[in-house]
Order: sequence, then structure tokens, then C-alpha cells
Amino acid sequence: MVRWQRGLWLFFLPSFGLLAVVLLWPLGYAIYLSFFDYYLGSDARTFIGLGNYADLLSETRLWRSMWTTMLIAFGSVGLEFVVGFALALALYRLHRSAKVFSVLLFLPHIVTPVVAALFLKWMLASNWGFIDATLLTFNIEPQDWLGSPFWAKVSVILADAWVFTPLIMMVLYAALQGLDTSLIEAAQIDGASNWRILRHVIIPSLIPAIIFTISVRLMDVFRFFDIIYVLTGGGPGTATETITMYTYQLGFRMLEVGKASALGVITLVLVAALLLAINRTLNKTYRGGDR
Amino acid sequence: MAPLTVRQATKSFGSVQVLHGVDVDIEDGEFVVLVGPSGCGKSTLLRLIAGLEDITSGDILIDGKVVSRLHPKDRDIAMVFQSYALYPHMTVAENMGFSLRMRDVGKSEQDRKVREAAGILGLTDLLDRYPRQLSGGQRQRVAMGRAIVRDPKVFLFDEPLSNLDAKLRVQMRAEIRELQKALRTTIVYVTHDQIEAMTMADKIVVMRDGRVEQIGSPLELYDRPANMFVGGFIGSPAMNLLHGRVSEDGRSFTTDDGADIAFSEAVSPAPGRQAVLGLRPEDFTIADGGTPATIRLIEPTGADLLINFDLGGEPITALFHERLALREGETVGLSVPSNKVHFFDPDSGARIE
Repeated sequence: MVRWQRGLWLFFLPSFGLLAVVLLWPLGYAIYLSFFDYYLGSDARTFIGLGNYADLLSETRLWRSMWTTMLIAFGSVGLEFVVGFALALALYRLHRSAKVFSVLLFLPHIVTPVVAALFLKWMLASNWGFIDATLLTFNIEPQDWLGSPFWAKVSVILADAWVFTPLIMMVLYAALQGLDTSLIEAAQIDGASNWRILRHVIIPSLIPAIIFTISVRLMDVFRFFDIIYVLTGGGPGTATETITMYTYQLGFRMLEVGKASALGVITLVLVAALLLAINRTLNKTYRGGDR
Repeated sequence: MAPLTVRQATKSFGSVQVLHGVDVDIEDGEFVVLVGPSGCGKSTLLRLIAGLEDITSGDILIDGKVVSRLHPKDRDIAMVFQSYALYPHMTVAENMGFSLRMRDVGKSEQDRKVREAAGILGLTDLLDRYPRQLSGGQRQRVAMGRAIVRDPKVFLFDEPLSNLDAKLRVQMRAEIRELQKALRTTIVYVTHDQIEAMTMADKIVVMRDGRVEQIGSPLELYDRPANMFVGGFIGSPAMNLLHGRVSEDGRSFTTDDGADIAFSEAVSPAPGRQAVLGLRPEDFTIADGGTPATIRLIEPTGADLLINFDLGGEPITALFHERLALREGETVGLSVPSNKVHFFDPDSGARIE
């Protein structure tokens, strides 16, 4: 234990100062702005209290973007987790020489998301894109991947999964390396099937890593912007418009900075509540005894 | 509770062969200890019996049935691991009942068996605790409880006491032995500690470099080691091994350094033969007519007196149960009864009768 001494807080000041300037001040300012009717460029700021919040919460566009965000967030994080975990388990069981493939699997994650999205956009382009061209040679009529509301959502989810599955795979693989193998062997002798070993021994041991990856990815995906911006721009219509896309539209297209700030605050509260709920549930399911 | 037979077992990891045709016969209810230095293949042999490693060639029979290719869960064995391998997120009761649950035993039957095993091991008050809340000895007991609950044909122990402190180790040693007597189970127990092997085993299998060196009861191994390795490995402090030659009349032995050791009667190896003389530290007595040796160091342990001698240039360790009034630097006569000496072939290491 570090013994607290008088004057030690002085050492804390520089980092706190930096955080205050780059993090707390903008946050406070955003909360402050959210109480005003304020257009970028105009001099007039009218205090309207919770007016922006009331406005937003009564809008169907907000609820639709909220729903889209949830769908994309849970769709892509769910997909990433399942595929990433399966790959991590496969890698864990693989022979050493086969592990070079893990580097190849990691490639999509090394590329900047915007570049990856551009690349995917070319692949998904209608008629002459790689995927359409391939399907057409087999005389299969391709879907309009980025133009139909349903397939645009699917494309966005797959794009995010393509970029971030390797990250989840690596984190869970690292966690698997730290697992005591005699636990698995004991379970084998105890008569557990592979599925039950996974369910009762491996997953409970990985809970900290699982909470970490899911939390980080969910936080990330709620801020999900770059890939959607490049792939669909929120379209067709508002089919792939997430909360961040809508915030961007409000702030930088319609210049309603007050309202955009209010939406930012709503997002913050929502994500915090969601993460807390997920942490609680996972911990409760696996840590409070196995029945 | 069943006999176990290992026939011509070999195991290779890639191009490295770690077991070279091992044969072991274990009778129903026998406590067998596999012992040997690190890397001798004892743990690999245990893992082959458990089915955690695939056997390269040879067979393993439990209760007369070939199990060499069966999955661990189908062999009806239980294993206690060195790390105990307790499931950290389960309580003691859940840990002990896990194997029953995996075999779809009814809830009330599970509870009954867990309570019964907990009673035997004195764990009844700890059933709701988690492994992290237990001491090393308690964890060890839970690991054994998990094995007992199953009532398997064979128990396997992989260096189960090596994580405990010395005092607890002696206590657990006795507990495991008593438990085995009460349950009358077949146990295969791996250790590198020859004292554990001597005190616990009905039968010891001494291994080195993937081969069996000798199989026998603890005292057989101690009194008639089949070769120099077993002689040197079993017994603490270790047997003194001196290279030299038996005299023409067979009544003395001359070491390579030129020291003469006299025997009261002629010994069995051919006169004039090159040999390695093995002398147990506790077989020495101090006598006026004995071989002169200089005391280099005296180590009193309280119960015994451990003395390092210089015998014509050879370091010799001797153990005396009486408190002798000796001083370091003093020269005394050492003698050994001729029926207590061991001879080994200097090339093959085999015992010479």
C-alpha cells in the first residue's frame, strides 16, 4: 500500500489538468450547450432548459436511429464475438505451425477502418463489384447490397465484423493461453463433453476477458461512424442512420449544435447504462456459482 | 477397484521417444508409486493411463479390458492433479459433484454422495466455500473428494503433495495412505520424492529415461537394488558408491584412489573383479580394526548424527543413531558387516550377486 503523504496530490495535477482540458471541459461544454437553442454561426443562444431533450425524445427519427444502432451494435458485436471466439478456440487447439494463419486472420484489423470500408465498397458495388461480378458468372441475380434498406444493414454489420473479429479473436486467444490446462483435463476425466467443458469450464474462466471485449466493442460500435459514413452515408434514406450518424447530421449538416449536444449526452447515458447492465448480467450468470 | 496392466507401452512426442516399452502389473487394491528423477517419463505414463495422452504403441488394461484407445471419461478413473485443478467458479460441493452432474446422476443422489465423501475427508463445513477461500491442504482434500465421489476403478495422483509445505506433506501422506486402506482402491501415484514413495507404496516402480529400472516393494528396493541407479536413488542420505576392485581373497576392496576396505567375511563377486561397491550410510559402525577414515563434517539432526568422512580420498556419508563423542579432523576406524554390502557392475550398473 502506498502511504499518502501531504503534497502528493501535486503530482496528480499535470495529468488531471490535461484530462480536464481535453476531456472534462468538452464534455461539460456539450452538456451546457444541450440546454440552448443554438445554431452554428448565429450569435443568439437561447436557454431552453430541457427543450432539446423533449424535442429529440418525441421525434420518430431519433427512435428509428436508436433502433438501427441497437440492431447494428448487437448484430455486429454478436457476430464478431461468436466468430472471434470460435476462431480463438480453433487457434488454441491448432498445432504451432498452423498458427501463422493467425497473422493472416489479423490483416483486416491492421487496415484503417476507412480504407477497409472503401475496399468493401468497391467489392460490394452493384453489377461490376467483385461480389456481383462473381455471382453473375454463376447466373445468380445479386442483391443491391448497399442500396436496399435490409441488405445495407447487413452489409454494414458484416463490414464491422470483418474489421473487428480479429481483435476479439486475439484478445480471447490470449486469455485462453492463460487457462490452466489441467482444468480442461480434469473436466474430461469427470466425463464432460466438449460442449459442457466449454460451457462450464472455459467460458467461466474467460469472463473477465469476455466482459472486456464485449464492453470495448459495444462502446466502439455505439460511436460507429467511419465505416457507415463511407459505405452508405446512413442511407438508403435513413436505413443505416445510427445515433452518431444522426448526431453528425444534426451538428454538421443542419448546424443545430444544441440539439446535437443533447443527443450526444443521451448516447453517453445510454451506453453507460447498457455496459453496466451487461457487466452485471455476465458476472451474475457465471460468477455466482454454477448450478 | 480393479487391476491395471500396462503392456509394452511406448510414447513419442514427434521424433522424441519418452517411453521405451514399459510393463507394469498392478493388482486390485494395490498402492503403486511411480518414482524417478525429472524427465523419466513417470508423469507421461500416468497421463497415458488416464487417457490424456494417446499411447504410441502397447496396451493399457483396466479390469482386464483394453482401454488404450478410450476417451478418459470412458476409462472409469479419477485423477488428482498437482495444481488440484479445482474449478474456481464452483463451490466445494459443486466441484465434488461435477462429475456426477456430467453423468446425469439425480440431484438427491449427487447430494448424498458429495456429503458422504465430504464426511470422510472432514469437508462438511466447507461445502459452500469457493476454492480461493481454502488453504492448500483443504484444496488438496477437495481434489481427493472429487475423485472419491465417483467411486472409480483406479485413482491416479500426479505429484499431489508437491505444492504443500513440509509439515502438511507428512500429514497428507498419512491421510492418503489411511484413505486408501479404508476405501481399498487401486492407486497409481507419481512423485519424484523417494521418501513419499518409500512411506506410501505397496509397490514402487523406479523409472529412468523412459524405462523401468526396477519394480518391487519399498524394502526389496532398499535391500536389494537391481542396479546402481536404484541403489543411489532410493534411500536418504544416498548410498555411497565407490569404484574399485575386489581383492584376490575376496575379503577386501581397494578403491581406485587406493583406500582398502576390509570385510569380516569373503564377499560373493569373483576375486580380482572390477566393481562398484555400494554402502548404505546407516550400515557403518565405528570399530578399532576398521578402515581408517577422517571426519570432515559432523551434522547432528537431533535424532541422528550425520558424518562426512574422507576415506582414502573418497567422500563417504555415514549415519549413526547414537550420539558419538567425535570431533571434526579426528581419524577413526569404519567397518561394514559383509552381508550389508552391495556390488554393481561398473559398465552395465547391474547388481552382482
